[in-house]
Amino acid sequence: MDPSSLIPSPDTIPVHWGWFQFFLILTFVLHLLFMNTMLGMGIIALVASVKSKLQDLQTAKEISGKLPYTIAFTVNTGVAPLLFIQVLYGNFIYTSSVLMAVYWLSIFVILLIAYYSAYIYSFKFDTLGSGRTFFIALAVIFMLVVGFFFSNNMTLMLTPDRWTRYFTNPGGTILNFFEPTLFPRFFHFVAASIAVGGLFLALVFKFKKKNSDYRREKIASGMRWFSYSTIAQILIGVWFLISLPRDIMVIFFGGNSFATILFLSGIVGTTLALVFGFQEKVWPCAITTLFTIIIMVLIRDLVRRAYLEPYFTVSTLKVVPQYSPLILFVVTLVIGLSLVGYMLKLALQNRREDEK
Amino acid sequence: MNYPVWELYFAGGGLLIATIAVVHVYVAHFAVGGGLFLVLTELKGYREDSQNILDYTKKHSKFFLLLTIVFGGITGVGIWLTISLLSPGATSTLIHTFVFGFATEWVCFMVEIVALFIYFYRFGKMDKKTHLTIGWLYFIFAWLSLFFINGIIDFMLTPGNWLKTNSFWDGFFNPTMWPALFFRTSLSLVLAGVFGFITAVFIKETMCRENMVRYCAKWLLFPFIFMILFAYWYVMAVPEAPRAMILGRSPEIVPFVKIFAWILPVMSIGALLMAIRIPGSVKKPMAFALLIIGLIYMFSFEYIREAGRRPFLIYGHTYSNSILVKNEEKINEKGLLKIAKWVEYRDITDENILDAGKEIFKIECMSCHSTGGPLNDIFPLTKKYSVFGMDAQLNGMGKIIEYMPKFMGTRKERLALARYIVEGLHGKKESPVRIEEKDLYTEIPAFNEEKDEYVLLAWSSMGMHSFTDSDPYWSLMPPGNNLYAQLIRRGETPEIVTEDVVISYAVEKGFEKPSKHVKFWEYAEHFFGKRLPPGIGLSGNGLKGEMKLNEKQMAFTADMVPVVPYSDDGSFNPYPLFTIEAIDKNNGKIFARTSVVAPTSTEMGCRNCHGGKWRVNGQAGLSRETSRDILAVHDRISKTNLLELAEKGQPVLCQSCHPDPAFGAKGKPELLNLSAAIHGFHANYLTNREDDACNTCHPSSPTGNTQFLRGIHMELGLDCTSCHWKMEDHALSLLKAEKKAGKKEADRLMKHLSPKSASTMNQINPRTPWFNEPDCMNCHVDFQEPETDESEFNLWTKGVEQLYRMRTDDVGIMCEACHGSTHAIYPTKNPYGKDRDNIIPLQYQSNPYPVGANKNCKVCHTIDMEEEVHHPNSLAMFRNTF
Repeated sequence: MDPSSLIPSPDTIPVHWGWFQFFLILTFVLHLLFMNTMLGMGIIALVASVKSKLQDLQTAKEISGKLPYTIAFTVNTGVAPLLFIQVLYGNFIYTSSVLMAVYWLSIFVILLIAYYSAYIYSFKFDTLGSGRTFFIALAVIFMLVVGFFFSNNMTLMLTPDRWTRYFTNPGGTILNFFEPTLFPRFFHFVAASIAVGGLFLALVFKFKKKNSDYRREKIASGMRWFSYSTIAQILIGVWFLISLPRDIMVIFFGGNSFATILFLSGIVGTTLALVFGFQEKVWPCAITTLFTIIIMVLIRDLVRRAYLEPYFTVSTLKVVPQYSPLILFVVTLVIGLSLVGYMLKLALQNRREDEK
Repeated sequence: MNYPVWELYFAGGGLLIATIAVVHVYVAHFAVGGGLFLVLTELKGYREDSQNILDYTKKHSKFFLLLTIVFGGITGVGIWLTISLLSPGATSTLIHTFVFGFATEWVCFMVEIVALFIYFYRFGKMDKKTHLTIGWLYFIFAWLSLFFINGIIDFMLTPGNWLKTNSFWDGFFNPTMWPALFFRTSLSLVLAGVFGFITAVFIKETMCRENMVRYCAKWLLFPFIFMILFAYWYVMAVPEAPRAMILGRSPEIVPFVKIFAWILPVMSIGALLMAIRIPGSVKKPMAFALLIIGLIYMFSFEYIREAGRRPFLIYGHTYSNSILVKNEEKINEKGLLKIAKWVEYRDITDENILDAGKEIFKIECMSCHSTGGPLNDIFPLTKKYSVFGMDAQLNGMGKIIEYMPKFMGTRKERLALARYIVEGLHGKKESPVRIEEKDLYTEIPAFNEEKDEYVLLAWSSMGMHSFTDSDPYWSLMPPGNNLYAQLIRRGETPEIVTEDVVISYAVEKGFEKPSKHVKFWEYAEHFFGKRLPPGIGLSGNGLKGEMKLNEKQMAFTADMVPVVPYSDDGSFNPYPLFTIEAIDKNNGKIFARTSVVAPTSTEMGCRNCHGGKWRVNGQAGLSRETSRDILAVHDRISKTNLLELAEKGQPVLCQSCHPDPAFGAKGKPELLNLSAAIHGFHANYLTNREDDACNTCHPSSPTGNTQFLRGIHMELGLDCTSCHWKMEDHALSLLKAEKKAGKKEADRLMKHLSPKSASTMNQINPRTPWFNEPDCMNCHVDFQEPETDESEFNLWTKGVEQLYRMRTDDVGIMCEACHGSTHAIYPTKNPYGKDRDNIIPLQYQSNPYPVGANKNCKVCHTIDMEEEVHHPNSLAMFRNTF
């Protein structure tokens, strides 16, 4: 069966596809920042809970207070790219989701359990005792499971040639184990998360006013997490790269000049971040990491396009123009972000007054 | 069709979405009203300078945060995942139409989260005014989330002008958007009170607890009044078709509407009870009970709204099974399997028909029906069907019962689906029906052409009297054949004898006691208000007796003779014989004797679709199961309670409601007459068929156990449709008359019927059943040989007098006297004995042709005649000899 005959016809879009592309990239970067922070902190807290030394427990408690927000914002910022990807690639992602429906649907249940575990961990940190490890482990493992399902779907949607498996398995239990990039892709996200989680902790302590050994030690610890996981990340990145189909891999080696420039920028960004990491220069490291994340999101997008190139390109989507709803969204977004800024300012101002 | 279908089996039929959606929606509404509750309660705390109230507010905000942000937020994602898995096509339409609506709502949710986190974590740590500002911002953005999502949800029920313009704004500001927004806002405030109870009953300090519980009761009660008003506005804003569905047309919605209505007083009484001073130990369970009642309330509301848009996901745009309305015609023309993307079998063969049927099932049925699950399980719904019945059901689906989409696809695909359901899912195997050939001995009474002075002609006025033996449940027609006889005194100028003669009739042995075989006599008084002795029919005639003279017709008749097709030997015989004798009134001498069949059958094919077995001998009769199902279906579709009444011993006579000109039954005059109702309804399930549509219900099938079309017309290859026309036309002509008489229900049955023998509906002439029937003279113009085999459609007899069974020739001999009964025109071929219907012509002229045919004038005239006094062409030689 010709896999391209299975690809559903796409719906029309109301504005030029570039808008959706822009919002997709923008919101996905935001999502990654929160997701990496959430998962990375979770893993660090889990390790800390297992080690259970006083120092580690201090780190874990620090994290426990922050985990619920980061989950909330990971979910919230995850909704937007999931929306925009459906606009551009709906006919691919709905299909792959149905093929793995059982796992895909289970995501929200798993997430709910992870979320409540994180809250229990947060609200009852001091009284839980050994239960702490259980709840943080539950939260982290379930977060990893959710990530693994996402990696499956994000690759399954790109490989229509595997969709014919539906005819022997229509019950929604297909995972994309045949995809060589599945595991490197998944671990790529996990390693990035640990790095960003460490970096975030360093930033948190950087913000603390009192200059102390404790603060310095925490910053150093965060930066160690960042640096070592980034070294691992380089290895995983190579694994990911070589597991890509050859014709896709070569676009980063001169096959496509934009892709090659991005790839090189990514290497430069990672290297710089790593250097700053080892030097414990928190802010420069954070900025280069942010830069690298943006580059990686763009690279990821190029990989997606290259996978789908034989079947589909977003520029072929038919536009039936209706720009006024876009204006509504942009205006609301500006107001919304301003209000978020305003509220955070109010909260922080009050905190200072409190602390006085 | 565009997307693969997730095979859910047990968990199908909406179980997933119902479970996830209702809990999410419940919490999501609370997230709106609860926001206002927090701010106003906090204010109350400041105003009353009560630390207890402030403590309560803070505690409640934690509960609120954990419930709304965590559970509400994640289940919201859950709904999204679920709909994209169950109806990816429709989800794609929603997303592509309202992407910026969703995106805007997402911004609101983001602001909500930030606000709520600050509100909760900084409670008591900020100055009052700033904290309240954060609280207000939370509420405003929570309400805005509702505002944006509400527009999109209501779009699915009432897309309004969007269907024409495809404009975002037309879709968003759709006809029910505002009433739904106000309704949901009020509901969210009510829920704030309901959830408020949950935390309030746990306040330790008694005064404060009582105070806060009363406060929550007010939250529940005041918006309640508005909620009811807005609910009314909402319903009124729904366009007529879905509103009719909500208000009762869809029998599945009715219980939910009842729940919705009943919970209103229950909840308000509950709230009032909470407000009075009763012990905390009672209030705690009551608070949780109210919470559950609220959930049921939410479920019933959402169910009504969801079901109201059936058979669509997006009204008028996407059917419940995700097939786009615009593709329907193409699918019917080319075939679903040819167009759908995710199918393996493009062509149906004998080998793959069940697999192909399964693919069709997945695309067209599975989105709403589970297989073996708790919701919309396909098994009990289709249990009764044979392949034919299932096929007919699919044929009529979505036409009368509009909450399901019509079947879309070719005829072959429909059969594949029917076979998959019946043979594949239910594992039924159907063996072909074997008909027993019978050749019962038929004695031809003697006639001496030289000596005999009289010719006695006898017949049953209807070629077949079908009646229903389902009396414990219902009756459509009692047993009762009309026997006719004319006595002719032979001579050069014969006379029709009407005086000084008694005409007697008596049924053959084995048929004398019909009450042994049917329960008609147990229910006759109930049905007809007459107490009848066993074996006596509605006109007082039994199975033997004297005929009465009908002077106008110059014939003797015995009407409503209650003969049944069941013999004492246990056999089914729809052609029992009657002996007819003409006796001299003065001396008892027999002038003439003959015999004639009284055709009567209970081979009504209801079971083809309504399930059940034949009641008698595997050949005929309405079984309990069949009879019950018919009432159950009637009850479901027409909102009656006939089955319940029947089971209480009060079965129903169809004509007690439906007028019927056959009986002169007035019924309820606003209802469709019985023929129009029954043909109009069933025509929707039996379209594009030939005579098999008629044979499905009537005992006319050439392979059935009665085969009542048994005259020369059958031998010449004509069938029911040659005179009565096809099912659609037949039904439409009846319905059109009813429509003209102002009966609204006619439209519902006519809506999906299109004429087959005329190009437009206007060309169909309305007609009254039993009065306006096919006229022999349509084909036999001036009694001549017809020019074609097909009669002209739309020409009906003008009244009863013109019916074949009522007509006479130019000298007063009734048509049937010489030509035989309707549907058994001489020469006939009876399946229970070749000459069983030819007795009269064989007796008097030794051939089975019409009496006097082939210039056999001597039968009555004793000499040859040269003038055609009976009717033109009566002296021609018989054409169709065999």
